[in-house]
Amino acid sequence: MDSIIQDHIDPADLKKFEALYRDQTRRGKVAEKTQFDYAWCLIRSRYQEDMHKGVALLEDLLKNEKDDLAKRDYLYYIAVGHTRLKEYERALKYIDAVTRIEPGNHQARQLHQYIKKKMEKDGLVGMAIVGGAALALGGLVGLGAALLKKK
Amino acid sequence: MAAGPYNYSYIFKYIIIGDMGVGKSCLLHQFTEKKFMADCPHTIGVEFGTRIIEVTGQKIKLQIWDTAGQERFRAVTRSYYRGAAGALMVYDITRRSTYNHLSSWLTDARNLTNPNTVIFLIGNKCDLDAQRDVTYEEAKQFAEENGLMFLECSAKTGENVEDAFLDTAKKIYQNIQDGSLDLNAAESGVQHKPATPRSPISNDQPPSKEGCAC
Repeated sequence: MDSIIQDHIDPADLKKFEALYRDQTRRGKVAEKTQFDYAWCLIRSRYQEDMHKGVALLEDLLKNEKDDLAKRDYLYYIAVGHTRLKEYERALKYIDAVTRIEPGNHQARQLHQYIKKKMEKDGLVGMAIVGGAALALGGLVGLGAALLKKK
Repeated sequence: MAAGPYNYSYIFKYIIIGDMGVGKSCLLHQFTEKKFMADCPHTIGVEFGTRIIEVTGQKIKLQIWDTAGQERFRAVTRSYYRGAAGALMVYDITRRSTYNHLSSWLTDARNLTNPNTVIFLIGNKCDLDAQRDVTYEEAKQFAEENGLMFLECSAKTGENVEDAFLDTAKKIYQNIQDGSLDLNAAESGVQHKPATPRSPISNDQPPSKEGCAC
């Protein structure tokens, strides 16, 4: 899963799909496939701004989609986008939606496990920071008490 | 990441390509987990798997990108072909249309990988011999005409699955040994890793970029 989340698109490929998307936008009609291809590339970009844009393009596709298989694909890649942006809670909601369409989907399950692990790790780090702050505060209080005593 | 001890000395990148429903993900799953995945849904975009194998005493890590066969994904999955050392091109022996499309997959593979990329043709589902729609002989001939390695496999029973992945690695390793595959070329699809940690005494030079895992 790490490789899917950390993989980066070749900037030349991103440019190619961007050019196609822009061209169709200018003509006034963007094909779903063009929008999807471009969104998928944006999500694999190195830049957060691109990832946000990719997620927004997929949300837009999702709104008008009737076909379950296509919905599943959009939902999954929105989840991947949020995961790459470290927006784990949101990602989990989209994974749940994929699982509702396809209960046995192992790609969704793997992504779910990956996120849970990341959240646990971040949680531990968070607790360590809070713990450290508490220790520091305790130290300050102790120091204050000692200073007061001195006086 | 610093160059450290690795329990393998090479990384080979593979891709798996072919029509929808030929069993690409099941082949990957059989190879990495030694299990058959029944009711496998159509892959969303790409999947990834790894396994460490041994070829003539060398430990090699295979990094395998399994691409979705659906047409809607085809444009973007092409961006995963670059830098593949091995390409497994799969058709279903019970569905002739998947065999007929091979020339289009082969064109993609040839155009988007380097000339040294080893292409291995797999006729999957050979456990379903009663429903066979493509003979072994004609596929064998197609493989020979196009310079491809070839086996019929079954992701369900596991027959020949190991061989397809391992023979591809052996061929790549042979290409490294005889010098036809240049490890320094940007898109060889092969990374060389130091197998043992360097002794701390001789390690006063800055670490070279070559062993970097990033």
